[in-house]
Amino acid sequence: MKKKKLVKFLVYLVFVLALILIVPSVTTGYSIMIVDVALLYFIAALGLSVMLGIGGQMTFAAVSFMGVGAFTSAQLSKYAHIPTSLSIILGILVAALFAFLIGLVLLRLKGPFFAFSTISLVQIMSNIFLNYEPLTGGARGIQSIPKLNLGVFSPNNLFGWFYLLIAVAIICGLIVERVRQTHLGRALSSVRDNEIAAMSLGVDVFKTKVVAFTIAGALAGLSGALYAHMSQYISQSLFTFNTSLTFIMMVMLGGVNSTVGTFFGALLVTMLPEWLRPLKQYLMIIYGVGIIFLMVYMPMGLAGVARSILTKCQRKKQQKGAEAANGYSK
Amino acid sequence: MNFLINLFIPLTISGLAMGVIYALMAMGLMLLIRAIGVLNFAQGDLLMFGAYLTYCLKDQLKLPLLIMWISAFLLFAVFGAIFMFSVYYPMRDTTWRQTFTITTIAASFILKDSVQLIWGTNPISVKPLIAGSVKIFGTKIAIQYLLIIGIAAVIIWAVFVIFEKLYAGRMMQAATQDKYAAEIIGIPTMITTLITYMIVVVIAGTAGYMVAPIFFVNPTLGTLQLSAFAGVILGGFGNLKGAVVGSIIIGLIQSYSTLITTTYKDTIVFLVIILVLIFRPQGIFLGSKISDKA
Amino acid sequence: MAIQSENRPVLSLQGVCKAFGGIIVAEDISFDVSSCEMMGLIGPNGAGKTSLLNMISGIYSMDKGRIMFGDVDVSKAPAHKRARLGLARTFQAPRFLQRSNIRDNLLLGTDLADQYTFFQSFIGKKSKDFEEELSELMEIAGFTFDWDDLIAAFPYGRLKILEIVRAMLSKPRILLIDEPAAGLNDIEIGHAVALLKLATEKRGMGVVLIEHKMDMVMNNCHNIVVLNFGKVIAKGQPEMISKNKDVIEAYLGRGYDVAN
Repeated sequence: MKKKKLVKFLVYLVFVLALILIVPSVTTGYSIMIVDVALLYFIAALGLSVMLGIGGQMTFAAVSFMGVGAFTSAQLSKYAHIPTSLSIILGILVAALFAFLIGLVLLRLKGPFFAFSTISLVQIMSNIFLNYEPLTGGARGIQSIPKLNLGVFSPNNLFGWFYLLIAVAIICGLIVERVRQTHLGRALSSVRDNEIAAMSLGVDVFKTKVVAFTIAGALAGLSGALYAHMSQYISQSLFTFNTSLTFIMMVMLGGVNSTVGTFFGALLVTMLPEWLRPLKQYLMIIYGVGIIFLMVYMPMGLAGVARSILTKCQRKKQQKGAEAANGYSK
Repeated sequence: MNFLINLFIPLTISGLAMGVIYALMAMGLMLLIRAIGVLNFAQGDLLMFGAYLTYCLKDQLKLPLLIMWISAFLLFAVFGAIFMFSVYYPMRDTTWRQTFTITTIAASFILKDSVQLIWGTNPISVKPLIAGSVKIFGTKIAIQYLLIIGIAAVIIWAVFVIFEKLYAGRMMQAATQDKYAAEIIGIPTMITTLITYMIVVVIAGTAGYMVAPIFFVNPTLGTLQLSAFAGVILGGFGNLKGAVVGSIIIGLIQSYSTLITTTYKDTIVFLVIILVLIFRPQGIFLGSKISDKA
Repeated sequence: MAIQSENRPVLSLQGVCKAFGGIIVAEDISFDVSSCEMMGLIGPNGAGKTSLLNMISGIYSMDKGRIMFGDVDVSKAPAHKRARLGLARTFQAPRFLQRSNIRDNLLLGTDLADQYTFFQSFIGKKSKDFEEELSELMEIAGFTFDWDDLIAAFPYGRLKILEIVRAMLSKPRILLIDEPAAGLNDIEIGHAVALLKLATEKRGMGVVLIEHKMDMVMNNCHNIVVLNFGKVIAKGQPEMISKNKDVIEAYLGRGYDVAN
């Protein structure tokens, strides 16, 4: 058991180190930006992974919380001259509070009805983002948002941001993994698989969902706030239903129940439009057909495929071991 | 007084017309929820597709009206079958219920983009079936609105008869409540599901055909499904009648809210939903709580 | 504390009534369960046994009556609150997290015993050493497993026993067991009974046992409540129940001669 964990840890460590060393050296200004955006999306998609993967609750709301986080931090730092490090934290808090309040109401709905109500939320929030100028700058958005200044470390180009985002992504990933392995994760899984069993095991179904929704909101808020200071410009056009759909695709492609899978999902889905640039017109159709095939052939995404390959290998190993033992005993 | 009548009658008529359109979509949603337990996220796009298809048959191919109606009906039914065999049938044995939801989202992508590729993104204006308007209490009302209300009422009534009164409908209900038991007593659940899908697409397509003259035919027609969903919540879930009444109320609320604001029309609807969820989570109509058998 | 509760019932039903539309599933049902007691709940199919269990655990609401748990009136409490107070149960068809492994499924039981909040659990408050308890239970349960085994790959009989183990891990005061023997072979039934005996004799839990296998009920229960059509038709010790006319009639039909 211990050994397995150690191997896993080493594999991840090597992977992260490789990422940190290789990516900046092979990317240029434009492609590092795409990687940065992918990392930001990953952070928001993690929230979805908590709700959908662990808790089985389909939600589209992440993008609205991302918007709330982004506009809050941008406004506070630009007009109230609050230091960016503090404004980001306030952005997260406001987003989380908003998610908490929305969750209290919408989570009274179940399953697909809840999912659909989050779509309404996204549409209405993007409507508000577009029309309520005092807060969001309306269609023009908010320009020249202050650069991020963390005191000890202030990323002044996209490469600097890459290091910062990798660190934040890892921390968030670890938090989600920790959630998965503790009481909240188990309670959420029980809500997903069997609500009656959950209740009889002392799990407050509603409260559990609300807590998870709030966490998802905080992660999305963080992602949005960071985005605001990275691109120094935000407008409503980012926080629409389509962005929400890309989060869903990231999670589904990577594997709904896997943090590492979500990471690769985020990377792939962000890169895909770049690779498929010549087919831009057909992009959504390709996505659509792709998703259907994904659902039919690998409903657990890349992580599911990886897992089944791993177990197959293990079984073969065990078989070989068993055969060897048999051979010996003969 | 006159002023008020002049204001309210058109708003009521147009609200009612939109309400019944939402009701048609809400019915489609409910039928699929009851049949396979899936919320169809492509419902609005099916409506949009219906608008484009009828536009194509009528204005591009210039078919005579009756032939156009028949061919549209058949095409919708066929499309319903295609829809089922692409987004439901391949995944029917999954244990992960979200799968269906996600594939309907994928279908919505595909529909939206195919329509744009075929017909472009520019809004297309379509002539109403009977142009002109009539005077009611001295205010002009476009005949199309009245047509919508009339035709939708007939369709809603027909769906009620099919699903609540006829044997075929009871068979379908049985198939949804307990698929296994229904199969044992000889109900072909796959066929009832298929027929449900066909009916749903026919209803959505017809609704698209009817709204086309009011809105321009354009790819964003799909967003109308949000209001239909609001209607479903308002009426209490799992309840066909409630969904219809709820949708009509939503249509009226939207219509009246234009007196106050147009930009936040949908926001008001959302607020209504939130209020309903807080104060009457079971919907505004009496809906008994269905408890899972333990 | 423990000594005090000896003479007072832990679970007490007082005039519980419930109807689904016109069908009466419970009519004025009252009985007590104390700690260390194994109480059998029997009756023909459709007598309302499982519905009663659902009312006790809070999955169904009651129309009338009161359910006391210790000194607490839990008549209106939601199911999860009752579980947190110490009311564990199993189901006719075992309910597990189908997409999780054994670890998560069993830890849910210990989570309930620990009663940590999400946050306490998150910052790493380790569960009180439950592994000892678990290994003791699994020894009696008669099989072993790998922590990472998927629940879906587990045979039915073992799942039923594992559900009892999970319920016991939550350290309840009352254990509601719904038809543990259904679908189990004789050896497995033996293991299940041994677990329940451990629960009452060593752990001091009160057990409410629904079961159709009469010998299992007659040989192990201290008291028996017989239900028919939602009514209590007999209450008492096994020897009395087995001679009770009404009970025999309910099970075997009118006109059946006891002497036969």
